Amino acid sequence: MEFAIYLTAGIANGSLYALMALGLVLVYQTQNFVPFVNGEFFTAGAFLGFTAFRTLALPYALSFGAAILCGALLGLITERVVIRPIARSHHLSLVLVTAGASIALQGVARARWGDDIYTFPPIFAGQAVDVAGIPISLQNLTVVLVTASLSAVMFVFFARTKLGKQMRAMSQSLAGAEIIGINPVRVYRLTWALSGAVGAAAGVLAAPFMLLYPDMGGIILLKGFAAAVLGGLNSVAGAILGGLAIGISEQLVGGYVGTVYIEISAFVVIIAVLLIRPQGLLGTSTVGRV
Amino acid sequence: MGALRQNWWLPIAIVGAFSIPLLADSYSQYVVNLVLVNVVVAIGLNIVMGFAGQLSFAHSAFMGIGAYATVLLMSRVGLPFILALPLAGIATGLLGFLVGLPAVRVRGLYLALLTIAFLSFCSWVFVHWKEVTLGSTGMRVPRVSVGGIPLATDQAKYYAILAATAVMVWLATAIVRSRWGRAFVMVREVELAAQANGINVMTTKAIAFGISAAYAAVGGGLFALAIDFLVPSSFGLLQMVTQFAMVLIGGLTSIVGAMIGALLLSILPELLREFRGAEEIAYGVLIVVFILFMPDGIAGLLRRRGWLPRPALLSRRLEGLRPGISSTGAHGLLPVRKASAEGASQR
Repeated sequence: MEFAIYLTAGIANGSLYALMALGLVLVYQTQNFVPFVNGEFFTAGAFLGFTAFRTLALPYALSFGAAILCGALLGLITERVVIRPIARSHHLSLVLVTAGASIALQGVARARWGDDIYTFPPIFAGQAVDVAGIPISLQNLTVVLVTASLSAVMFVFFARTKLGKQMRAMSQSLAGAEIIGINPVRVYRLTWALSGAVGAAAGVLAAPFMLLYPDMGGIILLKGFAAAVLGGLNSVAGAILGGLAIGISEQLVGGYVGTVYIEISAFVVIIAVLLIRPQGLLGTSTVGRV
Repeated sequence: MGALRQNWWLPIAIVGAFSIPLLADSYSQYVVNLVLVNVVVAIGLNIVMGFAGQLSFAHSAFMGIGAYATVLLMSRVGLPFILALPLAGIATGLLGFLVGLPAVRVRGLYLALLTIAFLSFCSWVFVHWKEVTLGSTGMRVPRVSVGGIPLATDQAKYYAILAATAVMVWLATAIVRSRWGRAFVMVREVELAAQANGINVMTTKAIAFGISAAYAAVGGGLFALAIDFLVPSSFGLLQMVTQFAMVLIGGLTSIVGAMIGALLLSILPELLREFRGAEEIAYGVLIVVFILFMPDGIAGLLRRRGWLPRPALLSRRLEGLRPGISSTGAHGLLPVRKASAEGASQR
């Protein structure tokens, strides 16, 4: 019973990490680097959802949609302002430029919201459904269902659609992709809009569980890194699996070892995976050449 | 005579440096002390990031380890500051060497992720290892005296910090010119060629990490002396971003650049303290602007103007060939191979 409760909580949290990881994998699939700005998409989703739901008193579904749209817009702006001008330089420059954008956006959030801590009111006050004797809150269920449907869409998108295939082609060889007529700018735009939307979706879904403050994205971004690294940076299925694995293991560590250790389990996973199996569980390793 | 003519600025700088405490009040003296601390820290980051070309987020963690180690060696072991500081530097340097060892297998992006996990892990330890660090309540730094002279005022501390900084700057210029310094650049530029020339890539990268960690630790120890009180939040991600901003703005692969960056970014937050969030916005925007428009930083500008010597390690011909290092401001601040046809096989 205890185990089942940890498991369900782990799956719900893990779904959020999986969504974060998905946003990172999207960018990695096209541009071969991991962006550091996605934590701010998460924060933006949470705060915009808060504004729409609490301040403007819109219905939750509408707030959710508005937050995702704004996330997509923020992704587009990020792409235009900081990514596109140096899209062809070394991937470590891109990492640093997104880290810079991330800290600037944190500052913007702090200028607007201050150092206060906000709470998002629960959407489904204490309602739960019984699944085989285990109570699962509707809130958790929503998170899991939204994640499942978003990742299914993503999966089909990469595997089946032309645009998804174009994105993967670009990550393999930018010049080759251009030669066969793929427009990189169009693909970058789409990537970042999707990445922003997924990040914001995670934020607005997580908001009722979390305290809202300007730096809230940092820790969740690290969990997303851990999930993506564990699953393999170039695998959508890996991101989902990695997210769930991290979410569940955190709850188990918290339940059986001590809650203090919840915070570090993600970092320990990153360190262990990179030292033992750098390509992750489902990722494919690229042959290094000079 | 020639040496004197070339280094005409040196006596002026020495007289200037010694007279600062006569003019400064306690607060501005404190800011000057922080500038010197950041010079040491930024030079360390520049060695691993600029010269050896490894993107590391671990630097602020090493700074924290050095700060705590220095203070603990004084308070628990009873060592004088003048011994505790170098010991903390050496110990952290060894730790940095160990952290750098995987860098041969775990590269580029993965190394960045590995080091950011290390940083987060260390931040957690600083907060939760309460028996040693006293956690978030913070730790008071014991009164420091050097050679029987108590360093009670910011002015007195200044001379100690100035001496340590001078030694570290001198050491850095020596390291960069040594065979290790050349090996760093070679490993950054063409790893395979470095190997072919008999450079052990693994130890070279690890040594770069070790040296930079030692610099961070000495900087951390001096930081403890300058601010008198240690809290874990001083050595987190914001500190790391500040340090990135210092080396990027000053200019990678330049010791003088690191010093310029440290100077500017130690003073900037003091000016922005009044406005909520302004500090972060300023750092973020500066990092973005410099990467986009001036990837070789202020040092690059000075080099183009001829006010700083060009890097002796790269011939002008090679500079022209390699888009990243070229002084014309092409993009790519780190080991540069432009994403192109071979993009997929880079990592």
